Amino acid sequence: MKQTKNNEILKIEKLKKYFNVGKDKKGPIYVRAVDGVDLNIKDGETLGLVGESGSGKSTIAYTVVGMYRPTSGQIMFKGKNIGIEASRRALSLKKEIQIVFQDPGSSLNPRQTIEQILTLPFRIHTQTPKRQFRKKMVELLEKVELSPDYLYKSPPSIGGGEKQMVAIARAMALNPSLIILDEPTSALDVSVQAKIINKLIDLQKEMNLTYLFITHDLSLMRNVADRIAIMYLGKICEVAESATFFEKPIHPYTQMLISSVPVVTKEEENLKPKKVISTGEIPSPVNIPPGCSFHPRCLYKMPICSKIDPEMIEFSPGHIVRCHLFAKLENKK
Amino acid sequence: MRNSNQLNNSIAISLVRPKSIFWLNLGKNWYKFSWNRLSIVGLVIVTGIIISAIFAPWIIPYPEHVGPFVDFENALQAPSLQYLFGTDNIGRDIFSRVIFAFRGALIMAVLVLALVVPLGVFLGLIAGNFKDTWIDNVIMRITDIFLSVPPLILALAIAAVLKPTLTNAMIAISIMWWSWYTRLVYGMASSIRKEYFVVAASLMGASKFHIIFREILPNCMSPVFTKMALDVGWIILIGASLSFVGLGEQPPIPALGQMVSDGARYMPIFWWMTIFPALAIVLAILGFNLLGDGIRDMLETGVE
Amino acid sequence: MKTKEDILLNIKDLHVWYRVYSGYLKVLNGIRLMVREGERVGLVGEAGCGKTTTMKSILQILPPGDFHIPQGQIFYKGQDVLKMSFKELLRLRSREIAVIFQDPTAALNPVFTIGNQIGDVIKYSATFKDNVHKEKIKTQSIKALKEVYLPDPERMYINYPFQLSGGMRQRVCIAIAISSPRNLLIADEPGTSLDVTIQDQIHRLLNELVEKRNTAIILITHSLGVAREMTDRIYVMYAGTIVETATPEILFKNPVHPYTKGLLASVPKISGGGIARGIPGKLPSYLNPPSGCRFKLRCEQEKPICSEKPPQLLEIEKDHLVACYLTQR
Repeated sequence: MKQTKNNEILKIEKLKKYFNVGKDKKGPIYVRAVDGVDLNIKDGETLGLVGESGSGKSTIAYTVVGMYRPTSGQIMFKGKNIGIEASRRALSLKKEIQIVFQDPGSSLNPRQTIEQILTLPFRIHTQTPKRQFRKKMVELLEKVELSPDYLYKSPPSIGGGEKQMVAIARAMALNPSLIILDEPTSALDVSVQAKIINKLIDLQKEMNLTYLFITHDLSLMRNVADRIAIMYLGKICEVAESATFFEKPIHPYTQMLISSVPVVTKEEENLKPKKVISTGEIPSPVNIPPGCSFHPRCLYKMPICSKIDPEMIEFSPGHIVRCHLFAKLENKK
Repeated sequence: MRNSNQLNNSIAISLVRPKSIFWLNLGKNWYKFSWNRLSIVGLVIVTGIIISAIFAPWIIPYPEHVGPFVDFENALQAPSLQYLFGTDNIGRDIFSRVIFAFRGALIMAVLVLALVVPLGVFLGLIAGNFKDTWIDNVIMRITDIFLSVPPLILALAIAAVLKPTLTNAMIAISIMWWSWYTRLVYGMASSIRKEYFVVAASLMGASKFHIIFREILPNCMSPVFTKMALDVGWIILIGASLSFVGLGEQPPIPALGQMVSDGARYMPIFWWMTIFPALAIVLAILGFNLLGDGIRDMLETGVE
Repeated sequence: MKTKEDILLNIKDLHVWYRVYSGYLKVLNGIRLMVREGERVGLVGEAGCGKTTTMKSILQILPPGDFHIPQGQIFYKGQDVLKMSFKELLRLRSREIAVIFQDPTAALNPVFTIGNQIGDVIKYSATFKDNVHKEKIKTQSIKALKEVYLPDPERMYINYPFQLSGGMRQRVCIAIAISSPRNLLIADEPGTSLDVTIQDQIHRLLNELVEKRNTAIILITHSLGVAREMTDRIYVMYAGTIVETATPEILFKNPVHPYTKGLLASVPKISGGGIARGIPGKLPSYLNPPSGCRFKLRCEQEKPICSEKPPQLLEIEKDHLVACYLTQR
């Protein structure tokens, strides 16, 4: 497949996904889940996508993997536009992009054994003879540190962390190019999470995988992602390298989010921005405030913020932000 | 790292261990089933009925009484050690006839369900999967039509038009029974197809066939099995209603409803002619109902 | 610093078992917990460690028939809850202790208005002496709604739960809990189902209310970070036992129990540095729990004495108790 320059494996341009939820006097009502998103992921990196409920991060994941069709915009994967539903995509494409869902309980069929769940990708995509299945299964389980007798268990009898390991094994079975992880550890305990995250990082190095890692947990993101993009109500607010994101966050929402994270060391306390305390509720995506959608909760609100939606500006190389506070920078250039 | 010995061991284990989820969890399933003592009562009754039905010709005390037989000397005898349920107006042992009648009742139930369940489940699966398309509409509207007719009336009408035999009674019942299963499975299939494991399979590239029959179907079966157990009781009842009015097994082969109707005019003095067949019907329905409750407890609860 | 001398709640050696098909799940194995008046206590532990069971035992709302308490005592203001009569329990639940549950959507009845639900609680927590009229209940309800900073309390009074967002519903649950004066609040993971910014608001609200009214609070959470910011003393729980307890400063500066240390290392930090490898192994079976210390199978420094009997919570320095043989001779 053709590679674009910068080794970009995934390039999302002006992606919009609206859901029609009914009508009122003025016309149809839309939930603007994703409202004009530009994003790219380089080969081999982990891009973190952070946001709270209603931010649209899961919707982006589902659109990339093919569960939804974009309302407008493009998704370029290895140079080809893949903005169509999964049912209409080529079979070979399906094994290149895989997804791990949040809830391990519902992402594995409770009435199948682990063996049946894990052989499915092989049965669909490869010509492996049935005799070799068992061997491949055991190898796959070894990769995620599960013993072979897990093959005969069924999901309801194993723990959440183990189920998620099975889901990860299933996603990696055919060596995909891109794996989307939608809050893979949010439903799990901290100690189980540590095990899974470390395993994910190991596997990434071993198999040269690219991850799109979605979570609302900022402290997790810091240790997993190379670059982080933060979303609010369907739009991206800020994108930066991991360290920069936490040491020099410039978007007011980023600062608000980081300051609400509960931390365990003094070092982290000192890192948190002090001034911004969280106020207000997250508006419903049906009723997005005009102008910059964050302005009702923003400490640094200016008159222009309630009228015009800011453009994405490059604050420094690799660090882009969408906020009127920095528009002057762009003008100065 | 694992060595090949452990690998071989696990492969060996796999040859011996049962593959089905149900048998893997047998102990837990039994606990869930037997938690309510009545379910065990149901199981005992049903097992008794099935055994008596299968082995009827060999275990009943008077095998010839189920065929053409008359013995007016012993007619209308009260229940005694010799004739456990007494005899009827032409001298036949009612106990033997009741046991034998279970045969016909069970065969009818089994054959009806064997026909109706695959068809109904299949239609419900297809309709649920293609929800909100023309396939769904066609299937479910036809189902609605069949559901709206009272089963007994339709059965009577059909059985009256065709010749009154056991086969035709079964056909009559089958014609409306499938729609209940379609409705049941339709609801389950249309909600299960939204579950993440189904989505994951389709994103993996699984064929529609696989998704419908390997992912969704196994998750729909619990209420179907429960319903099947309860339905045996219902079909026995409807079969008895049909034979009560003369449609179904023809004499001299005994049928429970027909025995009830024959004995009606001998009430109340020679009560045993009607009461025992009636009690047999009640017992059968009770047994299958209790069994069905137990199956439901076993399959449909998420209790640890 | 307030002087918190009076002990409000004192759980001593609590054992709770659940009945299942193959025997008993011996969940709680000798819980020791103490809450003083006005104190903020954190109960930290992962899923399945028994925190909710402990909470339910305090209020005696365990599922009826399926549990068994072989030994233990729960003293509330000197009286053993496990021996209380129904009337005394009623008084306990309606006037002394209030609970804020984890999922606010499930905790509110969808077919009654907010006002109705707060009003009910106020009505039942009153005694005959309080002479509750409808008007008085209404004023008290609206006052409670104001205290949790809900916008437009008058309108909120007639709203239904489905009209509110998750954060607002949780505030309503808090309002219900504080609608009449209580001595102890138990908050079971109050922010877990909410977004992080809203969770932060809820925690700060709870803090403020507890300070203002000098109410004690038991904050149950699985997040050490939350416990650090919101409590005066933390109890770390594992598999039905309290393994360590200390003030937050001491606990985070000097964790002693291997589980606490492992847990702290596994928490991702926003300062980076990667995450530790987690704690090897998994929760022991409650059906056949290991003899002695329940953490021993996952502990890298297990010794023979760890299998004899469970270690007691002993003080190793001021305000710092640990249940581990590694610290004891």
